[in-house]
Amino acid sequence: MEQDAQLVQQCLQGDGSAWEELVRRHTRRIFNICYRFTGNRTDAEDLSQDVFLRVYRTLGSYRSAHGGFATWATSVTRNLLIDHYRRTKRDRITDSLDDKMPVVENKESAGRRPDEQALLGELSMQVQSALTRLSPELREAVILRDLQQLEYAEIQTVLAVPEGTVKSRINRGRIELARILQQMGVRPA
Amino acid sequence: MTWTCDLIEARLSDYLEGLLQESERAAFEAHAKSCADCAPLVSSVRSLVGEMHSMGELETPPRLVYAILDKTLGPRETVTGWQGFLNVIRGFATPKFAYGAASVMATLIIVLGASGFSLRKPKLADLRPAAIYQTADRQVHLVFARSVKYVSDLRVVYEIQSRLRQDENNLQTTPEEMLPKSSPEKNPGQTDDHKPSQPRQQNRANEVSRHLKMLAVELPMLGERSIR
Repeated sequence: MEQDAQLVQQCLQGDGSAWEELVRRHTRRIFNICYRFTGNRTDAEDLSQDVFLRVYRTLGSYRSAHGGFATWATSVTRNLLIDHYRRTKRDRITDSLDDKMPVVENKESAGRRPDEQALLGELSMQVQSALTRLSPELREAVILRDLQQLEYAEIQTVLAVPEGTVKSRINRGRIELARILQQMGVRPA
Repeated sequence: MTWTCDLIEARLSDYLEGLLQESERAAFEAHAKSCADCAPLVSSVRSLVGEMHSMGELETPPRLVYAILDKTLGPRETVTGWQGFLNVIRGFATPKFAYGAASVMATLIIVLGASGFSLRKPKLADLRPAAIYQTADRQVHLVFARSVKYVSDLRVVYEIQSRLRQDENNLQTTPEEMLPKSSPEKNPGQTDDHKPSQPRQQNRANEVSRHLKMLAVELPMLGERSIR
């Protein structure tokens, strides 16, 4: 964390290699959050680029006293993901009218690349599919807690909501996810 | 205090994360074990959380970091500035590049020359496809005509040469045939010319007699006088 703060300072002084280092350190995490939220690799790549572009432009507003760089970058990511969700909402509504629930699941898994399928495994793929059917508030809470394994306090900072709300969203998200998987005929062992 | 199903749902994550107090945990478990709805729910959420904790992270796509750096810092070449420009120039100074450039230039000059484009008086009109086609067509016809002329010239020269050679041969063979043959075949009691006269001499004799006849016809008086 201290190293991140130092790199940010160097970036603000115009050090390009410090920015490169910062990007290398955080790209994987940001990309994974985007991928888990959208369930789409291309969207995740595009969103990751947008996240870093915004981070780069607003780097001057980052204050290390208010939390780590990772938490700050995660909250930028979260804001962009919600924007993206709202922007693409209309497309998803027309999509879901075109094809009913079970087809959506098949379509999503069919769109994945073979290496992704091998990495995720059968159950993980179904969990990923179920995640994209959660409401965005519950989805982001579950991703940050169970996939990114952040502490409650960090999630609270990222989502900018009270701790009680964070806990409640994580809990409801998990239960909802288990029910979606049950509807899909998947029962984790 | 007895726990309802709603309360079990509300505190499920606290239970799974060990955040319940001892008494709360006992009450939770007592309800969960006996309730037909809550038992499978607790079990499935517990295994779901376990599954999510074991889900690995995807590797970063290799091009993503560069795409981000390009988007934020600009394209990589401009980052290096003058140094990058000098590197590019240095690449041009290799012999391989010089040979390549020279051959490309030569090809261009030949092609431009053939298409009728003059480098000394460059005109945009020369580069029109129709103009290039016309020039190329004219060039082809010129080359064809020149080659035809060359071949026919060669034929004439060869013919002249062969005639000359033939004449030379004739000139050389005639005295040779005449001289050595005449002396050994000379036998005593025989004249050189066994034929009465050569054809050319005969012709000349005929001509003289013809002229004489003409004179005789034209000048009868003179003839009579002479006869007298």
